[in-house]
Amino acid sequence: MTDVSAEITSEDASGATAPEPPTNPLLSSFAFWGFVVFILAYCGTLLGAFAVQLVGGEFPCPLCMLQRYAMILATIPAMWIVLEALRGTLTRGRYVRSIGMSIVAACAGSVFATRQILLHILPGDPGYGSAVLGLHLYTWALITFQIVIVFCGVMALLNRHAVPVAPSGSVARLAAKAVVWLFLGVIVANVVAIIVLEGVAWVLPDNPTQYNLLTQLGIG
Amino acid sequence: MVVLLVAAIAVYRDQNTLRILALWVVALVLSMLLFNYHVTSSLDLSF
Repeated sequence: MTDVSAEITSEDASGATAPEPPTNPLLSSFAFWGFVVFILAYCGTLLGAFAVQLVGGEFPCPLCMLQRYAMILATIPAMWIVLEALRGTLTRGRYVRSIGMSIVAACAGSVFATRQILLHILPGDPGYGSAVLGLHLYTWALITFQIVIVFCGVMALLNRHAVPVAPSGSVARLAAKAVVWLFLGVIVANVVAIIVLEGVAWVLPDNPTQYNLLTQLGIG
Repeated sequence: MVVLLVAAIAVYRDQNTLRILALWVVALVLSMLLFNYHVTSSLDLSF
């Protein structure tokens, strides 16, 4: 593990760089893998939602899709952190900016999920879709957004001591890149899914019951 | 969703920071506008 304290700089308003306080190599490595796990966890969540949609035959409603958007919006800055760390271009300022972006997206996602929870909060309401481990997907979504806010808050608190540093080993770097590729694949899959679900329309119906594009093409 | 994909590709290809930020903000604002469009009823919270 190399000491990265000399490599990390920040830019002031005039564009000049100044040395940053020393970072803890162990914490910096932990921060890097923390963001890789962040991306991987949301890939798993989004793939799980796909499983419920395709295997369970449940159609995602507009609020469900908005929560997926918010998950992707929160994960793009994490991907930015990982990629900049891999390139060696991550500065403390860029790191904190990306953390802020993730928190803002998680707050938006929390609003979307809370709205859907409140729609089904009355006693006797069966909720939308089936429950997974006792909770509906929108409840799980709210939990994940709160975890993101807490995780990003802790990483922001630690930013004086830990700016993510990519490992030097080729296998570890390849693993991190593979997670990024998986995330890009998940986004592409979501783009295809929304196009097939929405068909030739600007927005989803409130309670989708079919794949509109297939119906419009006469094959569904 | 397409804007999100473009933003992610821009991050992956290490494009201009301002462009990435602009794409991300546009995606966020579009999501909020979609949310506003779909929220058409007041919540029934009469327990």
